[in-house]
Amino acid sequence: MSTPSLTLAVPSKGRLEELTREWFAENGLTITRPGGARSYLGAIDGVPDVTVRFFPASEIARELIRGAIDLGVTGLDLIHETSETGPAAVQTLKPLGFGGADVVVAVPEAWIDVTHMHDLADVASDFRSRHGRWMRIATKYITITRQHFAAAGIAEYRTVESLGATEAAPASGVADIVVDITTTGSTLAANGLRVLEDGVMLKSQACLFAARKPDWSAEKAALMESFLTRLGLSAAR
Amino acid sequence: MSGAALRRVNLESLVEAQGATRAAPPLLLSADAYFDLAGEEFGRRLLLTTDSTGAEHCLRPDFTLPIVQAYIADGVGRPAAFSYLGPIFRQRETGAAEFDQAGIELLAQPDGDVALDQVLTFARAAISIYGITPQVRLGGVGLFEALLVQADMPDAWRPRIRNRFGHTEALQRLLARLEAAPDLPREAQPDREALLEDVTAQMVATGLSLNEGRGPAEIVDRYLEQQALDAAHVPAETLALLRSYLSISGPALQALTRIEALAEQHRLMLGAPIRAIRRHLNALGESPVVFDASFSPRLDYYTGIVFEMTGAGGDVLASGGQYDRLLERLGATAPIAASGCSVWVDRLEAEVRA
Repeated sequence: MSTPSLTLAVPSKGRLEELTREWFAENGLTITRPGGARSYLGAIDGVPDVTVRFFPASEIARELIRGAIDLGVTGLDLIHETSETGPAAVQTLKPLGFGGADVVVAVPEAWIDVTHMHDLADVASDFRSRHGRWMRIATKYITITRQHFAAAGIAEYRTVESLGATEAAPASGVADIVVDITTTGSTLAANGLRVLEDGVMLKSQACLFAARKPDWSAEKAALMESFLTRLGLSAAR
Repeated sequence: MSGAALRRVNLESLVEAQGATRAAPPLLLSADAYFDLAGEEFGRRLLLTTDSTGAEHCLRPDFTLPIVQAYIADGVGRPAAFSYLGPIFRQRETGAAEFDQAGIELLAQPDGDVALDQVLTFARAAISIYGITPQVRLGGVGLFEALLVQADMPDAWRPRIRNRFGHTEALQRLLARLEAAPDLPREAQPDREALLEDVTAQMVATGLSLNEGRGPAEIVDRYLEQQALDAAHVPAETLALLRSYLSISGPALQALTRIEALAEQHRLMLGAPIRAIRRHLNALGESPVVFDASFSPRLDYYTGIVFEMTGAGGDVLASGGQYDRLLERLGATAPIAASGCSVWVDRLEAEVRA
């Protein structure tokens, strides 16, 4: 049997990578990337039994949920979006205090009759008989949208997958409203969209997550325990 | 022959014995029709694939839709009956994504009551092959609609309440909102022309099309209607009626007696839909039957009476009812009587083994 080791995945580029490495540094762990920005493998100085992998944030969410990596830093929104069972499949060890953004429902500013989700429910319910089609929602957050709209009792809509510039969808005629991620709401406002008063579906930020794996060997569990202790954390069991 | 194989053969014969056309729709279907009919909530259960033109297909997630579509394509009007037994595909929290369902669809039958009785009898017979006495839960969509039409309230509230029927939390939230509505003095209505001008200007400024989707008139009229609704309260007595009605759930005869008392107290004519439910109790034999006033599938094409039958573990083993609005939704030009049910074969087999 090989000696047990832990895999920690961190975002591979941009501001999120920088802030993640800073957070670990503040907690006494220096993440190195020997091959530079094009390399996907890293290490932590003085902690040989932890392998660092650099992945795009959405892949980190997926691999954590699958249990293919042990620890990872990614957005809470991506954990919720990747799979309905995502939040149950991982443990949130620590919100890191950066990468904050809200997943929100926004409607055209001109919809003066729609201020709350219950207004949207009324509009959606007879949209089809008025316009011969369902109300369309542009979003890249299909899972989160489905869950929240189901909870709000809204069934009469279709999602249109949008992988960029979601806020432009109503003006371009692709969709009627959007579910989008926003930090200040200014991009939405600039595009003539207004967040509903109860339209915040998820408050997201970057978090350190662990996969939930009940079948860990005692050695591996001990390794995890000692790594988390270094960070001043403990794994909730 | 072993137990499971014998049960399967018996189910096969029951499906064949319905005097119906045996339906075997293709396994690969266009996904669009499902999204159009049932929305995203059902859509997330589909097993989807995309062809080279970008069109989405799904593995057959139920039999009803393709059966009804083929019936409409053949030219509606003639009474028809279909039965089926075969695999369907849905993503589920537990259990394989491929599993068998059996069922019947009775379309444009001259007597909707007789048709529903056949459906109930079929579901009972299928379940009894597995030696199970199910718990039956009945819901009255027609009964609730009859109550809603007669209850005293501003008309604009009726579709809002109807739309939430079957979603207990959403309906409770709406009732709570109506109960909490402040008794404000009615303010002067804003001027419609001025609002239209504002909304149009706003839409133009943000590049929204004025005639694709919601236009200024629809938005302004709904806004004004809302202002009027804030002033036009649903009477407290009506809200109390709705709350009492929705809370009724229990052994069918007792529940229906309570509803009759409520109808009398509020001077509502609910005799016909209540009698319709009573007539069907016979078709359910020895099974314990509960009538749950708040029970309804969340799809607006259901009408009349709906039901589900559950086993000891609480799993739904059979469900169905009357859906006279379904064919219209799928393109028929007039409502056509329809009833049917589907039976979850894998859950029945699991119940036997438990």
